Amino acid sequence: MGAGVGVSGVGTDLLVEAGGVLVTSLDLPTTMSQVARLTVPRLGDLCVIDLQAPDGSIREVAVAAADQQLARDLEDLRERFPIDPGSDHPVAAVIRSGQAMLLPEMSSSLLRSFAQGAEHARFMIERNYRSAVVAPLPARGRTQGAVSVIRLGDGPPYGEEDLALVVELARRAALAIDNARLFSELQDAEQRLQAVLGNLAEAITMEDEHGQTVFANQAAADLLGVAAPEAVTSAPPGALMGRFLILDEQGKELGLEDMPGPRLFAGEHPEPLLVRSVVRATGEERWLVVRSSLVMDPGTKRVAYAVNVFEDITGIKRAELTESFMAEASRVLASSTDYTSTLGRVARLAVPLLGDWCAIDVLTEDDELERVAVHHVDLDKLRLLEQLDRRYRPRLDEPVGIAEVLRSGQARIYTDIKPPAVEGYARDPEHVRLLRELGSNSVIVVPMQGATRGAIGTITLASGESPRRLTRADMGVAVRLGRRAGTAVERARIYTERARIAHILQRSLLPESLPEIPAAEVRAVYAAAGALNEVGGDFYDVFDYEADCWMLVVGDVVGKGPRAAGVTALARHTLRAAAISGQSPTAMLATLHRALNRQPRGADLCTVCLVTMRQANGHAQLKVALAGHEPPLLIDARGETTQLGRPGTLLGVIDPIRINETDAELHPGQTLLLFTDGVTEAGKPDRSLGSSGLRRLCREAPRLSLQGLLEHIERSAVERAGGSLHDDIALLALRLLTPDPARER
Amino acid sequence: MSVGEHLRVGVRNHADTAVVHLDGELDLASAPVFESELQRAEVAGAARVVLDLRDLQFVDSAGLRMIVTAHTHARERGQEFAVTRGPEQVQRLLAITRIGEHLRIIDAPEELAP
Repeated sequence: MGAGVGVSGVGTDLLVEAGGVLVTSLDLPTTMSQVARLTVPRLGDLCVIDLQAPDGSIREVAVAAADQQLARDLEDLRERFPIDPGSDHPVAAVIRSGQAMLLPEMSSSLLRSFAQGAEHARFMIERNYRSAVVAPLPARGRTQGAVSVIRLGDGPPYGEEDLALVVELARRAALAIDNARLFSELQDAEQRLQAVLGNLAEAITMEDEHGQTVFANQAAADLLGVAAPEAVTSAPPGALMGRFLILDEQGKELGLEDMPGPRLFAGEHPEPLLVRSVVRATGEERWLVVRSSLVMDPGTKRVAYAVNVFEDITGIKRAELTESFMAEASRVLASSTDYTSTLGRVARLAVPLLGDWCAIDVLTEDDELERVAVHHVDLDKLRLLEQLDRRYRPRLDEPVGIAEVLRSGQARIYTDIKPPAVEGYARDPEHVRLLRELGSNSVIVVPMQGATRGAIGTITLASGESPRRLTRADMGVAVRLGRRAGTAVERARIYTERARIAHILQRSLLPESLPEIPAAEVRAVYAAAGALNEVGGDFYDVFDYEADCWMLVVGDVVGKGPRAAGVTALARHTLRAAAISGQSPTAMLATLHRALNRQPRGADLCTVCLVTMRQANGHAQLKVALAGHEPPLLIDARGETTQLGRPGTLLGVIDPIRINETDAELHPGQTLLLFTDGVTEAGKPDRSLGSSGLRRLCREAPRLSLQGLLEHIERSAVERAGGSLHDDIALLALRLLTPDPARER
Repeated sequence: MSVGEHLRVGVRNHADTAVVHLDGELDLASAPVFESELQRAEVAGAARVVLDLRDLQFVDSAGLRMIVTAHTHARERGQEFAVTRGPEQVQRLLAITRIGEHLRIIDAPEELAP
């Protein structure tokens, strides 16, 4: 306190008290009313503090009076008659000039001169306004308001000393007002910010360069698993982070230093970061996009804070992952009919996305449970799972787990599995030990649902290795997977079954083995077109026709599938029966023609090539009868080919049929080749071997064994067809054995 | 015009003659396309039917059966019926199966004039 001011004892007390008030509060109205109250009654009967608002208007912020009614009346008056900043009112004048004003004696005329209207004048006169001191509240080069201390009635008039005291009080108060006002403005701004940020769905935090969180909204508190934002801001840097396992998209664990905020302070320019955050305690998982930006301090022009925005995209990310997983799983399931290998791939796909381990069990045809696939993130644990399956494979009569899901067809989720539950499920202490070592805390079992019958197996997913827990959302995905896998397994089984039936059926259409023909070699090759489970319409046969006479047959029934297979069987057996009853080749074909005419339309067409072979004097006498069939080829020792036989009518189409029997001879070293049009037309016009292609291949005949020749032709036909035969192929070939062993191959 | 997987069937009428033009491959798979075209009124109501095989690149036994069926239907309706000579593979199969013997084979549809 400056000695020159000459402050009285009352004044010193006042200023000391004022100092106490002014440092304890930053709340402007409270501070001001406390300052005002300090002056009453020690310094005056009435004290008014006015402040000039940014718009220039003057508003009273505090009134203190010994008479409470007077204080209320004054507030009411000021409300109705605010002081005109341009008027002669001492408050307005002091604010304008910045100079304190002493009004020792206020006459009625003086009061009227600056009154803000007649009522104001009457108020001051009636209340006996006598003496006043008005001091400016200075603030950074301007005057922000004024303190008025007024004496009423008969008190002594104010002097210079009082003026100095009020000026000093005002000066101190001004500083406090200024601070409080700044603080209040800041608080207003912060409240507005809080209101905005607090209502945002996104979690927002603000941290300083030391990593201390200085602000957090409610969403951030929720995200961090604390009740209120204050719990976030009061936690030491990084303390809350420890509750979470933070992983990047690839599953790599991230530290605090990887977060965009700290990286910004480190001078980097981080991109928004996608993280998977797992609450260590509960396993709850969220996907977040973390964006950070820096806030400059306007005063120091230095980086003050990093603002972090956490956008929760768990729903989107989960849906996205689910869809991409389902798409991939469906692709895998559709890729092959070998369901054991596809389910193995599905189990590997499901880990770790849907769980830490996955096991797939199917019911075998004998209604036994078979584990067809198992996968675990941890290879040691995988061995444990395999050991568990070997020793404690689930039994179908168990009340819970896989057996129960198989029976009910309903998916089950077991969460928060506690030791008693494990003990209740296990069969013996060793089982308990193994299950404990596996350590699964949540398990989902879903049925693999077939289209035609109930559950044909189960998919088991479990977590335990990672902090995450399986949820109902995971179960939803697993149920979908179970449905797809069930359909795939069923389809594969049907396919395999059909393939087995087709194989059996096809065998019945073809001779199991070819008969031994003395001094001759006979070989056949057959390849069915299309998938494994389609029965072709081509057939061949070799049987003894008469004494020392053999018959070779190659035929082709139009169509594929069961109906064609039926007609193929009919054709083969009709020809055999006709041969046994002694019919000539022409009569045999006529018999077959009549049999075909009795068949339903659609599988009633057949082409046949019959060749009888009678051995005589070192060669063979051949008789060829054709019915709409490709003529057989005679390949000589140089590889030149000759067509045998003359055309005969296709069977089953038109009456009458005309068949020719043509004689030919087969000599040692020559090859007789019967074939179906699948060989020459293997790939349709542009991709077929054609007759000329077949003849070219036959040039190789003298250098090849009979089997080698047939396989060579088959291979070439398949190649020409682009690897996938359009029609069946049947090849039947005959060679005479030469007496000279040197020529044998 | 009807388009199968690999067979296009077109029907043109010249006076009382229906010309059924086959373009592509007539086999087990495409035979139904051909069969349904044969049921059309333009074909059924004509005095003469010509199967134009000149653009038929491939035919198999099932295709031949359809040609025979067309022939049979025409005969039952009292229609004159002929096929135009097809490419080598078609002619070869008609010969091998001796189906050609049952058909009147002409060089061009115009030959079947009233």
